[in-house]
Amino acid sequence: MKIMVCPLNGPRPVSEFAYGGEVRNSPDADACSDAEWSAYVFNRSGSPGVKYEWWCHIASGFWFIALRDTARDAVIATYPAEAARNILEPPGHAP
Amino acid sequence: MAWGYGRGADRRGVEIHQQTEVTGIRVAGGRVVGVDTSRGSIATSRVLCAVAGFTPRVLDMVDLHTPIYVHPLQAMVSEPVKPWLDPIIVSGSLHVYVSQTARGELVMGASLDPYELHHTRSTLDFVESLSAHMLDMFPFLSEVKVNRQWTGLADMTPDFAPIMGTTPVEGFFLDAGWGTWGFKATPVCGKTMSHTVATGRNHALIEGFSMERFARYQMTGEKGAASVGH
Repeated sequence: MKIMVCPLNGPRPVSEFAYGGEVRNSPDADACSDAEWSAYVFNRSGSPGVKYEWWCHIASGFWFIALRDTARDAVIATYPAEAARNILEPPGHAP
Repeated sequence: MAWGYGRGADRRGVEIHQQTEVTGIRVAGGRVVGVDTSRGSIATSRVLCAVAGFTPRVLDMVDLHTPIYVHPLQAMVSEPVKPWLDPIIVSGSLHVYVSQTARGELVMGASLDPYELHHTRSTLDFVESLSAHMLDMFPFLSEVKVNRQWTGLADMTPDFAPIMGTTPVEGFFLDAGWGTWGFKATPVCGKTMSHTVATGRNHALIEGFSMERFARYQMTGEKGAASVGH
């Protein structure tokens, strides 16, 4: 069984966690074009790679960020949700 | 089945190059001009990409963006037992499908693995959870052993329908996003995609599957794709 280190609860079985998708920046809804907005809504970076992702420890309802290699299923680091401020670019920049 | 399709294509003059990796697709002025491979380059004005779980990596080569995301999909087979199950049984609430082969093995599957991943290693988590659901339905199977399991990469779309047809890159055609669908759609895919490649226009039967449908918010309703719930 894989173990993930929750920033709040420590090492826990990965079955206790829910995947919430990649950490992404939304474009400015008032300023962007229709094409930019629909690309944000639907398109994903589908290729394997090292990605920042939202995860939730289900039992405690704690959301956090994991840096994971999606080619190897290796969790490199986990961070509390506040780290999103440093990961995301300023609003208005496409991810 | 795959070998049958391969042999049929071979008899009709299709060249199949095994052990040949596509390393790049050359585009000039918005048009496809060639494909680079690990065994040399091919000049061409038309490329059809039909590579299932590897679709996002190939689309990166032509700078196309789609909603496709990749999750593993696993299945497993039991040791052979006496015939007792004639139909295929599907439980949407337990996320199980099971049928018995002519050799007596039980072929079982479930829904996608729960997060994005690009490798095909089998997991014990899958066997444990699927076995638990199997025993909910059929407790008398508790002594039956699992013989083997395997994994494929499923290229998924938000509406669980494929993406087929022309793309913004002229000469680059896509047949992808089949995710958990089976091989039974392959013949009509071949027919409609060959028409599309030959004429440069989407066949009437696949217009609803174009990659532009997302920008128009025109999703299809295909949630029954894998016969287990999504």
